[in-house]
Amino acid sequence: MSVSDELHRPRTLIVGIGNPILSDDGVGIHVARKLRDLGLESVDVEELPASGLELLDMVLGYDRVVIVDAIVTDEGRPGEFHVLEESAFERTVHGSTPHGINIATALAMGRKIVPEKMPKEVFFVAIEAEDIVNVSESMTPPVAAAIPSIVTRIVSEFVSDD
Amino acid sequence: MSGPIINDTTTKTTEKKLTIDPITRLEGHGKIEIFLNDEGNVANAYWQVPELRGFERFCIGRHVQELPIITNRLCGVCPAAHHIASTKTLDAVFDATPTETATKLRDLFYMGQYVHSHIAHFYALAAPDFVLGPSAPSNKRNILGVVDAVGVEIGGEVIKHRSYGQKVQEIVGGRATHPCFGLPGGVSKQISEEERAQMEEMARSCIEFGKFTIKLFHDVVLANQDYLGLILNQDAYYLETYYMGMVDKDNKSNFYDGDVRVVDQAGKEVVKFKPSEYLDIIAEHVEPWSYMKMPYLKSVGWNGFTTGPSSGIYRVGPLGRINVCEGYTTPLAQAEYEVLAKTVKDLGVTGPVHHTLAFHWARVIELQHAAERMLELATDDVITSDDTRGEFKEPTEGVGICEAPRGTLIHHYASDKDGLCTKINMIVATTNNNAAINTSVVQAAKALIQNGEVSQGLLNKVEMAFRCYDPCNSCGTHALNGSPALEINVRRADGSKLKTVRNF
Repeated sequence: MSVSDELHRPRTLIVGIGNPILSDDGVGIHVARKLRDLGLESVDVEELPASGLELLDMVLGYDRVVIVDAIVTDEGRPGEFHVLEESAFERTVHGSTPHGINIATALAMGRKIVPEKMPKEVFFVAIEAEDIVNVSESMTPPVAAAIPSIVTRIVSEFVSDD
Repeated sequence: MSGPIINDTTTKTTEKKLTIDPITRLEGHGKIEIFLNDEGNVANAYWQVPELRGFERFCIGRHVQELPIITNRLCGVCPAAHHIASTKTLDAVFDATPTETATKLRDLFYMGQYVHSHIAHFYALAAPDFVLGPSAPSNKRNILGVVDAVGVEIGGEVIKHRSYGQKVQEIVGGRATHPCFGLPGGVSKQISEEERAQMEEMARSCIEFGKFTIKLFHDVVLANQDYLGLILNQDAYYLETYYMGMVDKDNKSNFYDGDVRVVDQAGKEVVKFKPSEYLDIIAEHVEPWSYMKMPYLKSVGWNGFTTGPSSGIYRVGPLGRINVCEGYTTPLAQAEYEVLAKTVKDLGVTGPVHHTLAFHWARVIELQHAAERMLELATDDVITSDDTRGEFKEPTEGVGICEAPRGTLIHHYASDKDGLCTKINMIVATTNNNAAINTSVVQAAKALIQNGEVSQGLLNKVEMAFRCYDPCNSCGTHALNGSPALEINVRRADGSKLKTVRNF
């Protein structure tokens, strides 16, 4: 990448995380694909089928990162989504997700080891999932139905016009 | 830094059932349930994993050439292993022989996977127990605590070399996490000289990091008498089982290709079999309380969760591989293998290493071997040839096996004449280890929890008994919030819950 390319590189990354053949677990991937279809020039859009340290490799060098992923909470309704800041996940730093360390731990690792390359802001778009155990390319109806409004919210909140 | 915390204070519990859910630092959401008897000793313990439903149905009717892309989505942890096993299965289905270039590129790609996976396991999952201590507070006993203890510079080296493993997979395999280069009889992507040179440089660095990791294992683990005591604790971490793993024609360990060798409790070869023969060797037992089957050696039979020659339970993964092989083809891994062999011999062990926690030592030896093998392949001119695709025939049925970092991985597909999948069967590494993991959990729980005396450190030591297998349960499920790291449900003898304790 040339210096010129580097200067013009988008400063925001939107990354959809999930498994696209595991029902609602893939909602982050499906949102990312919809965003990519919009041809947005001011953000980069990536898909990530894993999380943890793989995410760390991906976010380095960006100013702002928006992570779109499935979530399951006790009282959540499928398709409902929350826009959260990194601090919301501090208590899960020691939780178990793919390959031993989860997203929050990976980000904390990055801030310890390569703080100068880490994004200043990390947001999560957490979408309530209904089914994350059945192998299927299709999401459940309430989650699939929520995708347009999720995309609209992400564009309005995180995609600048310049 | 202060020294590692080996033991903590226990408290007396009057409960009858302890549940560890989900297991900390483990792919997926497993659960351990420990049942106590009236005296507060362990009556039994169970390791349970969640179910992933409908995968077979999802694959039937699809073109078999899609399966290397689909099966690798079973898991966010070992997609490369599924991709390689699946591609080798396509070789068998299409009766195809990959070219030398294709074989070496697949092997090189796979060494990238091993470097990445073994670094991640050792530093993120195993090191917290050894650097900080098994009884360190759970909010410190993680990779962030390890970085605090060993320093940011070493943490940076961990990140860098794990990412080199990923980069090699990306260069050769098209994508790092979900590769897409495997075809029957070959690979879809040629390598440029610039890419080869880049991989050579990364491999050289990984070899140095492998040396560092072995030294760290000696300095931190083996030099610490408390840890050595844990590793050698035959009450908690010792199973005399059969072992299974892949070897080359000289019985040297091989991760990518070869025959599968099985040895008995004394190290004597029981059988060496080709992939197509696996159904003659392995049978699967079903327990009503477990979604995951329990494979065992057909010739020996299922004898419950017992060990010894009359129980068909076998172990795979680093410990299985190191026990079935007669060394390594690369010098540094071979040298450390000899150190291990001499060490256990000096302790009076004559056959295989049955000490469960020796998984970790075997894993760092394998990290070294993978890095050395990566360099061998990255400096082989044939990998930049354009001869990447061999001949193939009409599709029929076939089996492919490779050694996933976690152990022997078997794929088996049948196809109709148009290439559409009519049958699929897989035995994944953690399933191969399932019965042994359960047996290890029961053993550790019985040895460590007595008279109702329980502590977080003790429960973590129970977890260590299976964490060293590096079990991978989720097969892809990974919702963002995960779940609490460690939850202990205390229940009465009738199963009703008395209270819940979390470790953070």
